Formats: sequence, structure tokens, C-alpha cells
Amino acid sequence: MSAATVLALVLAVVPLPSTWRRLPEWVGFAGIVATLALAVAQWGERQVAFSGELRIDRFGLLLTWIILPAALAAILFSWGEPSAAGRRPEFVGLVLAAATGMMLTVMSGDLITLFIGIELLSVALYILCAIEVSRERSRESGLKYLITGSIGTAILIYGFALLYGATGTTSLTGIALKLDTMDGLLTEPLLVAAIVLIVVALGFKASAVPFHMWTPDVYQGAPTPVTAFMGTGTKVAAMGAFLLVFTGATQQASGDWRALIGALAVVTMVVGNVGALMQGNIKRMLAWSSIAQAGYLLIGVAVGTAAGAEALIYYLFAYVAMTLAAFAIVMLREREVEAGDTQVAFTGFGRARPWAGVVMTLAMTSLAGFPPLPGFVGKFLLFGSAVDAGMSWLAIVGALASVMSVVYYLRVVIVMWSPAPEGARSARRLRVPLSVASVAAAGAVAIIALAVWAQPLLDLCAGAARALVIP
Amino acid sequence: MPWVSTLILIPLVTALVLAFVPARDRRTARGIVLVGSFLALAASIVVLALFDRDLAVLQQVDHLDWIPAAGVSWDVGVDGISIWLVLLTTVIFTLGVILACQRLPQQRGGIFLALIMLAEAGLLGLFTAGDLILFYVFWEFMLIPFALLIWNWGGSERRSAGMIFVAYTMVGSLLMLVAIVATGIIAMDHTGQLSFLMRDLMGVPYGEATATVLLAGFLLAFAIKIPLWPFHGWLPRVYSQAPIVVTILLAAVMSKAGVYGLLRVGVPMFPEGIGNLLIPVAILALIGIVYGSLLAWRAPTMRLLVGYSSVAHLGFIVLGIIVIDRLAAQGAVLQMINHGIVAAAAFVIVMILARGTGTEDIDRLGGLARGAPRLAVAFLFVTMAALALPGSNAFVGEFFILGGVFDQYAWMAVIALLGVIYAAVYMLRMYQGTMNGPPRGVQDGGRAAEMTARDAIVLVPLILMMAWIAVWPNSIVAPTRASTDLAVAPAQIVLERPTDQIGVLPDRAAAVGTASEPPPGAAGVRP
Repeated sequence: MSAATVLALVLAVVPLPSTWRRLPEWVGFAGIVATLALAVAQWGERQVAFSGELRIDRFGLLLTWIILPAALAAILFSWGEPSAAGRRPEFVGLVLAAATGMMLTVMSGDLITLFIGIELLSVALYILCAIEVSRERSRESGLKYLITGSIGTAILIYGFALLYGATGTTSLTGIALKLDTMDGLLTEPLLVAAIVLIVVALGFKASAVPFHMWTPDVYQGAPTPVTAFMGTGTKVAAMGAFLLVFTGATQQASGDWRALIGALAVVTMVVGNVGALMQGNIKRMLAWSSIAQAGYLLIGVAVGTAAGAEALIYYLFAYVAMTLAAFAIVMLREREVEAGDTQVAFTGFGRARPWAGVVMTLAMTSLAGFPPLPGFVGKFLLFGSAVDAGMSWLAIVGALASVMSVVYYLRVVIVMWSPAPEGARSARRLRVPLSVASVAAAGAVAIIALAVWAQPLLDLCAGAARALVIP
Repeated sequence: MPWVSTLILIPLVTALVLAFVPARDRRTARGIVLVGSFLALAASIVVLALFDRDLAVLQQVDHLDWIPAAGVSWDVGVDGISIWLVLLTTVIFTLGVILACQRLPQQRGGIFLALIMLAEAGLLGLFTAGDLILFYVFWEFMLIPFALLIWNWGGSERRSAGMIFVAYTMVGSLLMLVAIVATGIIAMDHTGQLSFLMRDLMGVPYGEATATVLLAGFLLAFAIKIPLWPFHGWLPRVYSQAPIVVTILLAAVMSKAGVYGLLRVGVPMFPEGIGNLLIPVAILALIGIVYGSLLAWRAPTMRLLVGYSSVAHLGFIVLGIIVIDRLAAQGAVLQMINHGIVAAAAFVIVMILARGTGTEDIDRLGGLARGAPRLAVAFLFVTMAALALPGSNAFVGEFFILGGVFDQYAWMAVIALLGVIYAAVYMLRMYQGTMNGPPRGVQDGGRAAEMTARDAIVLVPLILMMAWIAVWPNSIVAPTRASTDLAVAPAQIVLERPTDQIGVLPDRAAAVGTASEPPPGAAGVRP
């Protein structure tokens, strides 16, 4: 993966003959496919590299299976995107770098690696947000993300430092062993402070409320391929980090942080859904909904059990499939009409392009949690893990929050299938680019497959969750 | 042959096929949907033919693991309670599809029909689900097609009506999901494994407090769907804004989902909780009966009148189930079928009248009987059934319910009787207002409102079914007995009702596969 990253970045400075203009993308594909093949081939193995800094186990590998398709989708999205045309090598290279950071994050066995992974992905994304340098909103989005992200970074390193100070080790396994010998967090003020700071910092990355303020602006301002990648890959990495630190390393003290993360989940679900309810712009709505979805995902962290982790990982698969499918449709529309991400622009889109309408309907109903789609199965498992862990209140708030989400997700569906407003200029009908259509189709197929074959995937998730709690 | 699964798949496949029919080709769409709905009807008749009326438990079960780790499976079958609801669904949907074909919307008729088929699949799945999660899946599944039907083809305020419909139902159903998850997890302590199969969960001792909370979670979802007063807020708007075919399907079939859930899940699974919730729910049902009747009395349009009368009639059904009495429960099942047929017929008549006169306002019509004698006769028949006149099909059902309720709580029966009286008031108001008196509303004395042969295709079967049940109610009630007895028996034991109430406890006999004795006490005859 790193090799492909480097190669792509080299291509950025090497002047390419025009016949090779797709070379960066092909390098990106090759890198991703090769890495994915490796990740699949290594499934079931448990390796430790760099004296425990890097842990290649089922947990990390399974999350890699989500991160890599998201990166692939980002490159496909940018294919032929006019604004990114001049900067393809940089774009591909940065996406690969960010994906590397995400993989490093979820495979880390040590606080240092974890931090490096998160930084690598963040820095790459700061630049990606601002990659359309000629567009003011894109630059602004990158700057906003950089500023808030840096604060998050500072808090994260502070939290890690305190955790190291309290336990005397940076190894996640070492922390778990050390906590075994202590009687909970509360006896050690340093630990309490560390946990709070880490929750805040990771909350920034996962855009959990109240650290979500940057999300809607950045999502809307960034180029849509980047938004799609941020909305999916970063979420996977941040949730992976949450699981590594909480369900993995500090599970011994779970009694002390469960309520904290549970409260975070509640606020995130409620605020995210209320925010999404107010949006008239689909990209902003998806940004707010991704905040709300982070809330549901946090339930899986808050329960602190293997069952919670298992449900969370399954939901990540579902979430990425649903979000990528939705973004693919938004991209299609953006190419056809100006301001294509507003609800007005979507009116009648489903009638004009029934297949796009079907994919969007699938994605929206699944995100809203309608059975038997994977969004429902995931929520069902998450709520189930909460009830099982004696946190029924979390499940109830989650259910009520989902009701709100139904309104705004279905609004998109209604708008899409409504007749186009009278007197409206019929939109240009462009040929659907194969690259975007393939992501939409793959997303739709994944949504259906995740529902029908939930069990095989859940078996994999259970394996990953076990790898997490047994260091 | 997995007949029950086939039954659910037929409308689903029909809907998929319809989605591929070009929008212009309305003839093909009509042909496909008619074949699909008749095939579903035929399959439901096969299921009925294979049905063993002496068995109380779920029969012809098709079981397939879906997510074993979460205890979720595809598990469908029929018992005495669901068999008639399945038949009601296929019959009413077949008639509804015929109606829809007769006046197919200009815009995207094929999709309109496909959504109706999807809704049928959802309802058939709901009435046959043997797994709580599957029950929930179908519960939600039918919401989307109905909502889209309202949104795209409804009246001028269709958007807000559709939104209200979805928002109301989702509040209830998502809390039901939490209750379902909690039920499965709590039951795990007793059964040793995570399972959402209703037959596994039946008989798990939850303890009074837990059972009450869980039951309340389910009840909220059911109450909204029924709709039980004061959760009926969505009904007037939805019933008046939906296309009339959809209103027929909503009133005749979908409104049974809630009461069915109460009898299938609520009462048998959480008998310990019934004691705490019996009186409150019964009072809500009683208020619904009286209040719904009053609203129907003052309703400005015919459509709203029939809609509000549904609130009252469903209140009767809820009362019949919640008082935990064998006779009342059997009456409730019968009344579910009766209400389905009568409400459908009433809405069809409203539709014919509205088409002929261009208005649904009762006060702007009158004297139509002169020009439309055939419709007047049919309407009179339906009116008699709706007000449960002795000799009509609804009379038997209401008699069962009132008899059973009187046995348990005489005061409730007295209040409920008000509903019977009011029914006469509002139904006769509608009949007299439109059919009798000086001619009003149409120029040609009402000839435009006369029932045509095409209308008769839909209306006559409904009237024949009413007549059938009126003459021979036992043909409907007898097969339901074993299953309703099994459903209310645990609650009767918890409530310490006299043991002779419980009947033969068919579960023991049925569980080992032997046919139980037919329960004593013929229809309507009680010591």
C-alpha cells in the first residue's frame, strides 16, 4: 500500500505524457487491490510487528476490508471529475496515504502507532479537502478541518501522554494488563483525565456531538469524492480507534467510562438527527446524518462488550455501503444540474433515472433502519447489545432518534419520486459515468447482500471482536 | 411444498415484474397484477384447505435460518387466528386490484399496482410470521408502499398526510423493536439461547413488572396502528387523503395488524402484564368506541364517517381481546374479518357515490335512491351490517364480544353498548342523507351514481361474504377456537379466572400433535 502511495506521489511530480493520464488511477487501483488481496489472504493469522507496535489480527484486517473499498470508491468518484482533473496524481496519492493512515490506526498495538495512524489520515484529508484550490469553499473547508483537527490532535496526544503516565506503558496490551492490577479508573485521577481527553479527541475525529461543529461545513465545502471518503473511511478508523482504546485496552475499567461514552452517544444521536432534520441541502443532510450515525455506532463502544464491538463492526460495513451508494447518486445529480446537492435539484430525479432512484431509495431506507435492510440489522444488533449490557436507556434513545431520522431520509425518497416542478427546465441528461455508476451498483448490491447474508459476515465480525478483547 | 412462503412470494414477485413493465404498457401491467393477485388468492385457498382446525399451534411452518447468531429466522406458518386474516388479505387485495385496474392513475399506473402488491406481501408476511423479528420486518415493510401510495397518488394534502402516517407508526414500531430485543434477551435466561421464535418465547416467566413494561412497549405500537384512542391522530388525514383504493386496503386489512399483534403477541406472551394493563387499555377502547362514534356522527364527508366508525369498531375488537375471555376473543377474531369486509364494502359505496356525484359531502347529497336503486339496495345491506343489526354478520361478532365482556366486566359491556346505539345513528344518517329525501347533488336524479356491472364485480362478492357469515358464522369461528383459546389461556390462569373458562387447554394436546377435543359450547350459546 505504501509503495503505491509513494508511486502515486512520485507521479505527481513527474510530467506524464497525455496518453498516460490515467496512470495514477491505475496505480491506485493496483495498490488497493493488492492490499485487499493481502488482507484477505492473511485472515485468521495473528502477527505482531515492530515489537508490538503493529498488530495484524482479525480486527484490523476486517476493518481494512471496509477502508480499502472506501478508498477505491473515492478514486472512482474522482474519475473524470472536471475539478480534480489537473491534480489526479496528488489526489490518488493522498487518498492512498489517508487509507494507509486508517489501516495503521486500526492495526496499531500501541498508542504511538495509533497516534501516527490518525495523524497520517488527518493530514492527508486536510489537503484533500482543499484540493480544489481555485474554489473558495474548498479552501475554506480544508482550513476549517485543519484548525479543528489540530485541536483534536493536541487533545489526543495529551490524553495518550496521561494514559502513559498512569500506566507506565504505551502498549495497548500492556495497558490492559496494568489495569488488571488496579481497581478501576476512579482510584487514579490521571486515568480519569486521560480517558476524558481521549474521548474528546476521538469524538472530534468521529464527529460526535459536541465536537461535530466542523462536520457540515467541511463536508459541504470539500469536493464530493473527498466528502464520501471522509464520511466513510474516517468514521471506520475513528471507531476502530475507539474500540482499540476502550473495548480493547481499558475494558477492565469499563464500568467507569461506559456512562461517559453512553452519554456522548445519546447527545450525538439526538443532535445529529435534529440537525439533519433542518437541512435542505442533501450533502449537508448527509453530513448531519453521519453525525447521527456516529451516535448509533458509539452505542457499540459504550456497552464495552464483544457483542457491542461485533455489532459495531457489522454496522460499519452497512454504513459504508449505504453512504457510498448515496454519495454516488449525489455525484450523478451534481453533474447534471447546477447546485445539484439541494433538495430542489433532486425533485423528480427518480422518475428521470429510475435506477438511480432505486439505489438512493435503498440507501435512504436502509440508513433510516427499515427492515430487512442492513441498516436495520445493524441497529437491531447495536440496540440488542445495549439491552444485553443493561443499558436499555441507550437503546430507547436510539430508537426515538431513529424515528426522527426516518423523516429526513424519507423526505429524500419522496422528493426523488415526485413529479418535477412545473415549468422547470428539463435537466441535461448526461451519460452516466461508468465509474460512478459502478460504485452506486456495488453499494446497492452490498446493501442487499449484507441483509441476506448477514450471518456469514457476523461470524467474521465476531472473530474480529474476539481478537479485540483478548489481547 | 412451502405454501405459506410461496403465498408471500407471489405478490412480491408480481411487484418486481411490474417494475419492469414500460410505463406506457398499461394493458400488460393490468394483466400481470390480476394474474398475481389471483395466484395469491389461490395459494391462500390451498393453505386454508391444508389447515387442520383442531390444531392450536402454528401449522405448515417454513423455517429457514437468517441470522442464527442473533436468533433471527424466516419462520412463517398459519394458525386459527391468522388463517382467516390471510384469506381476508388475499380476497380484499384481489378486489382492490380489480378496482385499481378499473381506474388506473394516469401517471405510472404500473408502479401504483406494484406498490399495492408490495403492501400485500407485507401484510401476508405479518399475518404469518412466527418469529418476532420477522413480524417486525413485515410490520415496517408494508409501511413504505402504503406511504408511497399516499405520497404520490393522494389528495391535495398528500405530502403531510403521508408524513404523519409514517411518523406516527415509526414512533410506535421502533419502541416495539426495543421491546422485542429486550424480550429475546430476557428470555435467554430461561431458554438458554437467543431466539425470537414466538413458540419459544411463549410461556417464559418474565415476572409481573418486566412483563408489564415489555407489553407496554408492544402495546404502543399496536395502539398507533389500530388506531386506539388517543393515538388515532393520523387516521382522518390519511383516510381522506389516500387514493380511495388505498383507503379501502388500509381500513379493511392494515387496520387489523395492530389487533392481530395484540392477540398474537401481546396477550399470549406477556400474561403476567395483562393484569396491570387490562383496565387502562379497556378504558381507552371504550373511549374509542364512544368518541369514534360521536366523530362519525358529526363527520362532514362519507369517507371520514366510515373512517371514524372504524375507530369505534376497532375499539370493540380491542375490548374483546383485552378482557381475556374465550368467547370475546373468538368474537374479536370474527369481528376482524367482519370489519374488513364491511369497511371495504362501505368505502366502495362511498367511491361509487363520489364518482357519480363529484362530492363526498353528506350534506350536499340526497334522494339518490330514486335514480340508483341497485346501489340503494346494496348500500342498505352494508348499512345493516355496519350497524350490526341482528341477522347481519357483524351482529354475531359484536354479540360474542359483548357477551364475553359482560361476563367479565358488566360495566364495560354497558358502555360499549353505547357504540352499538351510535352506530345506528351515524350509519342511518349517512344512508338517509344520501339515498332518501329530496334529490340533491346530481341533475339526473342520481342515475350517474348507479352501480354498474364493473362495480358489481367488487361489491357483490363482499355482500355475498357478509351473507355467508351472517348465516353460518360457525364456519369462521370453529377453526379459530383452538388457537384463540391457546392465546388467552395463559392470561386467564394469571388472572385466576374460573378454570372452566379456560376450556380444554388445547396447547397440551396440540403440542404433542394429537387433535384436541372440540371445545364445548357452540357458537353464541352460553350457560
